[in-house]
Amino acid sequence: MLEQAVIYTFVALVLIGGILAAFSRQILYVIIGLGISLLGLAGLFLNLGSPFVAAMQVLIYIGGITVAIVFAMMLSIAMSIRPPDPNPQKLGFAIACAVIFFGAVAHLIRGAQFQQIASPASEKAWSVGALGHALLTHYNVVFEALSLVLLLAIIGAILIARRALPKENS
Amino acid sequence: MKTDIVQLFENPYLALGVSIAIIMAYLSVNAIMLIWLERKLSARIQRRIGPQRGPFGLMQQIFDMGKLLSKELLTPEHANKLLYVIAPILVFAPVVALSSLFPITSTYIFHDFNIAIVLILAISGINVIGIFLAGWGSNNKYALLGAVRSVAQNISYEIPLILSVIPIVMITRTMSLYDITLAQETYPFILVQPIALIIFIISATAETNRAPFDIPEAESELVAGFHTEYSGMRFGLFFFAEYSNMIFACALATVLFLGGWRGPLLPDAVWFFIKVYALIVLMMWFRWTFPRLRFDQLMKFAWVVLVPLSLINLLITTLVLKIV
Repeated sequence: MLEQAVIYTFVALVLIGGILAAFSRQILYVIIGLGISLLGLAGLFLNLGSPFVAAMQVLIYIGGITVAIVFAMMLSIAMSIRPPDPNPQKLGFAIACAVIFFGAVAHLIRGAQFQQIASPASEKAWSVGALGHALLTHYNVVFEALSLVLLLAIIGAILIARRALPKENS
Repeated sequence: MKTDIVQLFENPYLALGVSIAIIMAYLSVNAIMLIWLERKLSARIQRRIGPQRGPFGLMQQIFDMGKLLSKELLTPEHANKLLYVIAPILVFAPVVALSSLFPITSTYIFHDFNIAIVLILAISGINVIGIFLAGWGSNNKYALLGAVRSVAQNISYEIPLILSVIPIVMITRTMSLYDITLAQETYPFILVQPIALIIFIISATAETNRAPFDIPEAESELVAGFHTEYSGMRFGLFFFAEYSNMIFACALATVLFLGGWRGPLLPDAVWFFIKVYALIVLMMWFRWTFPRLRFDQLMKFAWVVLVPLSLINLLITTLVLKIV
């Protein structure tokens, strides 16, 4: 009973955060909504018996990305200007994208054959050795692809920063 | 053998409640005593006497607590009410959650997580958001400036902090704080990782927003930084959070580098707290000795000195571990 309540609390957090992120006009609330939603997701991971994924979710998405967005936003004028009026064309496009994405994901999940497996003992599954082994064997391609994406992001950031410099000097 | 306090209870939620109650009680008393210690130490360093009410000036803190508790909770007129009220809680709550992870004795611990270090690094990042919301929700330019500085500082110093913890994980091949303490049976890791310890202490001082890294609340420039508009117990929560963060950072340094509860003759817990409070005295000593840095010096120190240094340290550790 109590466990059900905990799960539904996290689901509610995800939904409330998502709604706040999608429908808020003030950019700070959008970021807070995103943070709440991601926190709820971390709670769900924890409930599914993956404390490591939950901790990583909090570390990367809340401690890293949300804080980085806050950081970027507070150095810009985005916080002090009035939010622009809703644009019906953009709104329609966004709704279409969301519906297509939701439909595709729902379709995939409905079609998938999930196997019920006994969750491995937490002590073994999340040891440093097991994690390192998994990252460098089974998830090797994903791991490398992610590093590549991060490298591209860094190069992009450097490019943007370089282009801005000469303007300031002149 | 170790016993998880959490597993002594039938009901996990009851265990959670009891653990939180113990930790909250400890952290409150600890904050009051640390404020007393800080005032006495600063007085000694500045050749003053310090608080004098009661024996050793101890009663002063009780009176101060009464004052804080009975003060009116003011809310600025155009402040964002919800964010303004939530922010102090968001700053304090992560520390409470994290304090349960520390193995204070070799026999009784709250719960031995095998990913404790990831949890610590993850959850300690949340209070930055609390500080930012406090500054933004206050609708005060000094508060906002303090929050902006705080976020920049916390992001910058979190990187060397994480990089200084990784060598320990590489040596011990575990992320459980209990096992890390066990691994220091023959020698504490301060002997093999002195640079990591120094980087850790500096970064932890910056993460707790204490002098010489206290520019988020620099009183000569920003009144009181992000908590300018707070009064009464809401301000008190920020104060509690600062001192609890100190305890947390020093406890982590104790476990990672100083061998945790290990020590001759005295009981485990006594050794643990001796080490923690020695580090805290060191941090207070910093505060009353070093002048405040300028903002560009602070950022430069993090990115130009600490990050490369910790990366080099990581590289050397890797090489040594590979060869040995």
